[in-house]
Amino acid sequence: MSTDATASTAGRRQRPRSTQNQGTRHRRVAFGAGLPWIIPAVVLVVGMIYFSIADTIHVSTLDWNGFILSPSRFVGWDNYSRMFQDPVFWLAIWHTGVFFVTTFVVQTLIGFTFAALMHSKVVLAPLYKVIIFIPTVLAPATMAPVFRHIFDAKGDFNAILSAVGLDWLAQPWLAGDVTAMLVVMVATVWQWTGLTFILYYAAMSQIETEILEAARIDGSSNFRTLLAIVWPLCRPTTVALATLGIIGALKTFDVPYLVTKAGPNHATEFLGTYIYQTMVQQKHFGYAAAISIALLILAIVGGVVMRRPRREKEGS
Amino acid sequence: MFRKSQFWRRAAALAACVTLLSIVACSGGSSGGQSSSATSGNITWWGWTPDAVNAASLIAEFNKKYPDIHVTFVSKPIDTYDSVLGPAITSSQGPDVFNVAPGSANGGVETFHEGAIDLGPAVEAAVGSDWKTKLAAAGVAGLVVGDKVVGVSAGAVYSGSLWINKDIFDKHGLKAPTTLAEWKSVSAKLAAAGQGGFVQGAGQWAFDMDTFEAIMQNVEPGLYVAASLGKAKYSAPQFVKGMEIWKSLFDDKIMQAGAVGLQQYPDANNAFMSGQYAMVMMGSWYTQYTVKDTMVTAMKAAGVSNPTPFTMIPIQFPDVAGTGKVGKMFGDADYGLAVSGKSSHQAAATTFALWLATSPAGQQAVANTLNDIPSLKGVQPQWDNIKLVNPAAQLKTLQDYTDTASSADQPRFATVSADLNTAFRDALIGVATGKVSIKDALANLRKVADASRK
Repeated sequence: MSTDATASTAGRRQRPRSTQNQGTRHRRVAFGAGLPWIIPAVVLVVGMIYFSIADTIHVSTLDWNGFILSPSRFVGWDNYSRMFQDPVFWLAIWHTGVFFVTTFVVQTLIGFTFAALMHSKVVLAPLYKVIIFIPTVLAPATMAPVFRHIFDAKGDFNAILSAVGLDWLAQPWLAGDVTAMLVVMVATVWQWTGLTFILYYAAMSQIETEILEAARIDGSSNFRTLLAIVWPLCRPTTVALATLGIIGALKTFDVPYLVTKAGPNHATEFLGTYIYQTMVQQKHFGYAAAISIALLILAIVGGVVMRRPRREKEGS
Repeated sequence: MFRKSQFWRRAAALAACVTLLSIVACSGGSSGGQSSSATSGNITWWGWTPDAVNAASLIAEFNKKYPDIHVTFVSKPIDTYDSVLGPAITSSQGPDVFNVAPGSANGGVETFHEGAIDLGPAVEAAVGSDWKTKLAAAGVAGLVVGDKVVGVSAGAVYSGSLWINKDIFDKHGLKAPTTLAEWKSVSAKLAAAGQGGFVQGAGQWAFDMDTFEAIMQNVEPGLYVAASLGKAKYSAPQFVKGMEIWKSLFDDKIMQAGAVGLQQYPDANNAFMSGQYAMVMMGSWYTQYTVKDTMVTAMKAAGVSNPTPFTMIPIQFPDVAGTGKVGKMFGDADYGLAVSGKSSHQAAATTFALWLATSPAGQQAVANTLNDIPSLKGVQPQWDNIKLVNPAAQLKTLQDYTDTASSADQPRFATVSADLNTAFRDALIGVATGKVSIKDALANLRKVADASRK
């Protein structure tokens, strides 16, 4: 990335020191004068992250129960071929896709709307901002029992439905395939909409008031201004949120594990919960590692795909 | 030039030091302590059970005989037990004694037997060459891998019965169900009175497996275990019958609505303990809640303020198949005690493990917790010293229950591999919700069982 720039800078720095021999200068140009200073960071990153990824790839070729004293058996690509034939793996990917699209759309809609409202002259706006953002800082483990209680067959949500005459809608929400997934989505939207709101709020603060005033002078309504001016100008934020959203969806674990235990019938199974199940409950570390590598590849691909439209736009 | 070379020299020295320290740290204590004292030392015991209070009472009893062995119990959550135990028992800094479970469960001997010493010679020396006949069957086979005695069972837990809130039954003038029809009728009557009948957290499939094994023990005793050992086929008509009965529990509204969306712990447990439901599928570990103080604590934990303890008794699993074959329970070691191969206090650790698991005094202490049925045959809880909620209604039932449980010869999970365990989840919850046919569910069980044995 900056090798040339670093090299030329280093070269410029070395010129007055005529006593240094040519070989030293070449080495310095090749490695860069700052190399010793970044060694700790390089060791940390390579040692802790990339070594772990490499080790996970290695484990994914083994049949192993995960206990270091237990013998392992090299099985090559068997865990990957098993993964491609595993219906639960594909189900988890399908759930991830549906989950991402639904939660992203709903969070964007609510977060964007709230951000726009908070930029108008709302009484007690700071209080509302805090209220909207609070769920984001709460741990899912704290909220999981609450959501389980709310959506229990004898829970608060059914009680409310009955109280307003909608008792025909009341049901055991955690026991149905579709409704259990809805509960997981509701919990996620509830938790992360605050972050969406804050980022849109910050993005809207960056929009120059002259642009909005010009739109109004041209006769644009508030709604039209929001759609035609504000929304496009917030596009980088939307792309960033989508990128975070797709990676977050791929890594989803805590809410489905804590609220529905990934059930019933794998109805809320995600890659994260499936990795946990195969690794911890079934002791198939190799297979779990193979799914982890698939997750990593999907996250990288997802991130690249989400960034591409922005780069193209920046390039044009 | 000098400065640069000095920097690299220092960096190289630092790297060498780090490497050396790593090697020293990794190799530290690589050999277990064979020469340690059997009557003194500080040892650490890791386990997911018993709870802190019971562990303290067991250690206090142990110290009456071995005052110079100091035992520190460290409670580890069962969900993460394997994750923390694996690294711990590969170093001398880990536990000296650790809990193990039968088969492939968390803490399973199949996973951790490589990290434990063989207790066989020590058990034989302590109990005699016929030690296997002196201990409950449930605590022996499940903790042995090959010829290696990986752990000795401190006590066992058994399932295959229901627990009822007798006060609710008395209030509504009902008798405990003995058949499927009666079970359905009692559930309907309780529901009509606004009272929950039977509760199960069917989303936690280990308890579904308990219910299904109880059904199969009624259909044909021993067949469930035989199939898990490959000695019978899951496609047998008896299994079809068992699955039909299992599904009928849901279709006939014996199970509460939304059962598959709930967990046995905490959901079903709390619902029963708070009096919302009158029946629950729990095992011998529930005996501890017949004690007044323990029940009050459990009710408070279930969200009941100012609780009044109720009369809780075990009943036989109803004759759901109409075969008349009732009262057959099944169980495994709740936890076995293993001694770490890396422990530097193996002798003291072995003393503690054997005292708790095989000595009359240790087993009496285990029995009195009412959490486990003792492993040593003939040991009963000292009922005279135990304050039950309603002794007149409970004592005889509990004594019979303990006798029945300790004579059980069928395992609960010991013969079920991790893969088969997961397949049971898919089968039982799938059939219960109608997403999977009985035929497909049984075919998958057979496929997984066959694959597990290869």
